[in-house]
Amino acid sequence: MHRCLKMLPLLSLMWSCGGLAAAPVFEIEIRDHLFFPSEFTVPADQKVKLIVYNRDSTPEEFESYELNREKVIMGGAKSVIFIGPLKPGIYPFFGEFNPKTAQGRVIAE
Amino acid sequence: MSRRYLAAYLLMAAPGMSLADGLAVDKVYHPYVQPLERELEYRSSWLDDDDMQLDGLQIHRLGFGASLNDRWFAELYVIGSKEKGHSLSLDAYEMELKWQLTEQGEYAVDWGLLFELEVNQENSAREFSTAVLLEKEFGRWTGTLNVAGIYEWGSRISNEFETSLAAQWRYRARPGFEPALELYSSDSAKGIGPVALGTVRFSGARKLRWEAGLIFALDSDSPDQTLRWMLEYEF
Repeated sequence: MHRCLKMLPLLSLMWSCGGLAAAPVFEIEIRDHLFFPSEFTVPADQKVKLIVYNRDSTPEEFESYELNREKVIMGGAKSVIFIGPLKPGIYPFFGEFNPKTAQGRVIAE
Repeated sequence: MSRRYLAAYLLMAAPGMSLADGLAVDKVYHPYVQPLERELEYRSSWLDDDDMQLDGLQIHRLGFGASLNDRWFAELYVIGSKEKGHSLSLDAYEMELKWQLTEQGEYAVDWGLLFELEVNQENSAREFSTAVLLEKEFGRWTGTLNVAGIYEWGSRISNEFETSLAAQWRYRARPGFEPALELYSSDSAKGIGPVALGTVRFSGARKLRWEAGLIFALDSDSPDQTLRWMLEYEF
């Protein structure tokens, strides 16, 4: 239970109506060259706002050809990425500076 | 946007010809900037035309660019031309500043601005242009539009204001190959044609982007065909 609680902030997909035009907001973290969470589900056919926190000291690039996005997030900084509206499906993404470890996917449904 | 150096070249070749008499085919800019981005760029256009002044003319650009932060990108170019049967000559220098105004996907359309200042060393002509860069996604299709206002001045040319338009309709098939259609229009040249683009990835987040296309004249005043290509190495 304790472990789960500890992971909760990292795995939590924060859903809020804040920001732009009620776009659902999701937060993910980059830590030790990994994405947390590495997989999350977003509503299909709707624009989504991702807030990506890079907890590492080195920069990372969120990249996905399927999502048509690339965004460099400096070390210790956060960045906003808008994705979608997406058709139902699976959209992989990776960290271009650490492509072997930093991998994840967005599931739209 | 690039036609001024060709036009300046033509001015020298044909006294009395206005700087506005050039071609529009060059490159379509996207309104995005990435921090930490550095690139070396080489791009070229080769013209084929019944007009002997244009036929066989080659325009070459070599540039180095770097992002200043997550919103601004600066690039410096040296520009040369080669007439059929002649050697390559250095014609002009150009400074470019790109400003990303909105986050990609934040609004219905992504917005950016491009500022260019070109100095032609042969005829002391100057040119300053401001272009609005627009891009919108339609699923796997992407539409991009560049609309520019250009002011040219100099002691050996007629000062004048011009406009130009460049548009690209691209299908994101796969990273290594994306087919597209491009349209170019300036006050004195109009063309349309197929283009292919792609990205080859290397280790260490290095990339080689390439573009190649053949643009055909839409009227009798434009060069019959313009072959254009670009190599851009990001590191």
